[in-house]
Amino acid sequence: MIKFTGEHLLIGQIGNFITILTFCSSLLAAFAFYRSASSNDILEERPWAKLGRVSFIISAVAVVALFVTLYILIYNHYFEYKYAHQHSKRSLDVQYLLSCFWEGQEGSFMLWSFWNAMLGLMLLKVEKKFTSPVMFTMSLVQLFLASFLLGIYLFDLRIGTNPFVLMRNEFPDAPIFQDPNYLAKYLTDGNGLNILLQNYWMVIHPPILFLGFASSVVPYAFAVAGFWKKDLVGWVRSCMPWSLFSAGILGLGIMMGAAWAYESLTFGGYWAWDPVENASMVPWLILIAGIHTMLIFQHTGRSLKASYFFIITSFILVLYSTFLTRTGVLGDTSVHSFTGEGSTLYWHLIAMILTFIAIPVILYIKHQRQIIVNHQEESMNSREFWMFVGSLLLLISAVYIIVLTSLPFFNKLFGTKWAIGEDVEYVYNRIMVMVAMILGMLTAITQYFKYKDTTRKYIWSKLAIPTAISIVLSILISVFGEVSYDKFGTGFLLAIHLAIWTAVYTIISNAMYLITVLKGKMKAAGSSIAHVGFGMMLFGILISSSKKELISENNTGIGVPGLKDAKGREENPLENVTLIYNVPTPMGKYTVTYLGDSTELKNNKVYFKINFAKADSSDPSSVEEFEVNPNAFLIKSPEGNQLSSNPGSKHYISNDVFVYITSWLNPDNIKDTASFRNTPIAAGDTIYYSNGFVIVNKILTANKYDNTDLPLVDSAWLSELTVVSKEGRTAQVSPAYFVKDGQGSFKTDTVMQQNLVLGIQRAKSGRVELALKESSAVMRYITLKAYRFPWINLLWLGTIIMVSGFMVSLYQRLKSKLYVV
Amino acid sequence: MKKMHILGLVLIAVVIASLLTFMSDLTTYDSIESARTKEGKFVHMIAKIDTTKPVIYDPIKDPNLLTFTAIDSLGFSTKVVYKNAKPTDFEKSTRVVLKGAMVGEVFECKEILLKCPSKYKDDPNAQKNQLKVVSEIPKLNAQP
Repeated sequence: MIKFTGEHLLIGQIGNFITILTFCSSLLAAFAFYRSASSNDILEERPWAKLGRVSFIISAVAVVALFVTLYILIYNHYFEYKYAHQHSKRSLDVQYLLSCFWEGQEGSFMLWSFWNAMLGLMLLKVEKKFTSPVMFTMSLVQLFLASFLLGIYLFDLRIGTNPFVLMRNEFPDAPIFQDPNYLAKYLTDGNGLNILLQNYWMVIHPPILFLGFASSVVPYAFAVAGFWKKDLVGWVRSCMPWSLFSAGILGLGIMMGAAWAYESLTFGGYWAWDPVENASMVPWLILIAGIHTMLIFQHTGRSLKASYFFIITSFILVLYSTFLTRTGVLGDTSVHSFTGEGSTLYWHLIAMILTFIAIPVILYIKHQRQIIVNHQEESMNSREFWMFVGSLLLLISAVYIIVLTSLPFFNKLFGTKWAIGEDVEYVYNRIMVMVAMILGMLTAITQYFKYKDTTRKYIWSKLAIPTAISIVLSILISVFGEVSYDKFGTGFLLAIHLAIWTAVYTIISNAMYLITVLKGKMKAAGSSIAHVGFGMMLFGILISSSKKELISENNTGIGVPGLKDAKGREENPLENVTLIYNVPTPMGKYTVTYLGDSTELKNNKVYFKINFAKADSSDPSSVEEFEVNPNAFLIKSPEGNQLSSNPGSKHYISNDVFVYITSWLNPDNIKDTASFRNTPIAAGDTIYYSNGFVIVNKILTANKYDNTDLPLVDSAWLSELTVVSKEGRTAQVSPAYFVKDGQGSFKTDTVMQQNLVLGIQRAKSGRVELALKESSAVMRYITLKAYRFPWINLLWLGTIIMVSGFMVSLYQRLKSKLYVV
Repeated sequence: MKKMHILGLVLIAVVIASLLTFMSDLTTYDSIESARTKEGKFVHMIAKIDTTKPVIYDPIKDPNLLTFTAIDSLGFSTKVVYKNAKPTDFEKSTRVVLKGAMVGEVFECKEILLKCPSKYKDDPNAQKNQLKVVSEIPKLNAQP
């Protein structure tokens, strides 16, 4: 048995203890709340509830302690622990240590369980009526989440993965663990954080998104509690504020992910219909549908079954999306490559999903007769009718998205090999533009209907003005807005124009509803605010996507005059343009120049300086000019250095210019094979090179005895040369040669466009020689892509407004007792 | 029949119609050999980069032209043309999904999805290999 040195074993043992404590206390809490909720006798119910409460509080405290313990491992760089070794690194900035935390499977489950614990404590404090059954669900979720962190073996099956495992226990065969001093010798640094994740959005986006995911269980818990306590009506009222909270936070989390993709990843946009994005959006769509059907139920007593269905499905879909993204079933389809933990996590998550489907299904079968169904037909002139239509539409879009996203999973199940065809985004967009169109329309008109019935006269009197304004506005946009995205034909373009109209309609009519009907009163304003925000989001998405413009359009291979075109190009413009150092290159309406780069040594990040200039055609003297600084991490690897690029952008109110580097010739990487050719020279000489000639204008000789301006060297030979290329371009260069203490040194000069390096040298004979080298290695260049996204800010502003709308509604519901059925 | 029922039927019809149009857009995962038999058809080809053959990307000549050779586990290989910049970590990838179609002898690729070992941080085999490399360093240093 080897005695290892330098390890910090105590903290891991504490971690393991807390993991088991979390599991056991959640188990006890779940059991106690189950007994309490099942009992009808108050004398029996109370003590169980009390036990459950204590157990849950213990498990919540344990989760926080777990969080702290793992953070200590990461913060102190205890690389003997696998989690720290895999996800952290010494050179990482402190703010990214948190990102390391949720980069891994275990850390993100821990984050989820942290939020679940916090929400549970909130519920213990505020919920009076459904405490036990709701807390049963919360404890059960807590139990499942804790089980993902157990890492214990049940026969040959490992349940969960423990974040406190040691490297040497995980890889006992590795030879380094023969050395008792392995830690100080070999495991001196960790693998570090995936470079794509080193971004401030990665610090803030996961906690918000996970709060969204975690909070989606609360509405579910209330739905279950409603069945359980045979209070099929009362749960809706308690459920509503939590649903609003969850929808607001989840929406915010998703859009933060979009902002992250937009700002840091090189997807070329904020939304790529990537499976991971889809999987988080689908539960949100269903939750929104659920909120609307619950509103219908509260006001009319209809749609109770639909409310149950939506609220329960929303949480199941959160679990399903976890399943899709964590188990590796998405495999080849996602740019996010989440790894599978193998078959254990697969079945573990399936078990969790089945459990949470089984609970409401069993309760439903037991209690379905008690559900009130209103068989009377609703009026077409009622608000509930159109709200229900909208909810169904949300359901349809959710089904469409999740079916397409699940394709790899279906392949796995049925052994098929299907994949989404040529243009993934269009496959989604052509359906979603229709959904946006109809949803926009419904969102615009529905608030003007009253519940149960409305007279047509009333509707028309209220709707006439917003309808007229929106039609005029959108005609103006269609005529002058230059929305001409015809890649997929006229039909799709027409749909875009119609959807733009309904988005405008939504904004105008909800804003006017707020003013003319609600008279600015905040009591019921939340929904109108959220709808205005939603309209703005739709508008921002439609405009920024359909008017997205490729600036770096390249039809000629390379955009530099004088270099020959690449041969035979097809219809699609190519997206990359190469910029040579200091050579202004036309690109779209701009003239773009690569002005240089600088490397931040600490983490090998290279910043590029790129200048954009646009001359105003009407007034040549005024030039719009700005600098963009995209950056890239330089990853050193045996196969040669690689770039991991982050875009740089120039933000205007009305549009963003967005640039990222796709290729960079790192000077360190070049093997310069060309050599200098020496020619004796005197002033007035002309020396030829392959593409022109060099005129020697002047040669100056100086030494420190007769020239006091030379304090640093003993003697110097300076030259002034003119390089004239075949195309007639000239360049002035002044290479020099210095001698100090008998040692000679060059100061070479380069002519970038001519691939020319020039130096002078003093030959043994005492004559001055020109050293000339023609080498492609002097060519400094970058290849980049540039896009413009117009009105993208409307999307972000819309998101903020929509989330505020949710929060206003939430606040009003918590404050007033008005929403009693 | 009630309005709701009619509405329901209409919506179901819409779902079926949209899924049907989607079906027509479906393609398949293919090997190099089966992609050859479907010349001109858009497929997803699973392969890896043949590192023994040259990977050509010269942004000075053309920043939108990458050519390389792909090889699959069955031993078939094909030349691939990708009219875009060379993706990051291209040489490091252990597996690629190439989306495109065979045109003559050449696979014209529209999109490349890379599967890189660095992204599979939790892959125990990758981890093990890495530890082996680490453990070999002192031996090398020990030699004079």
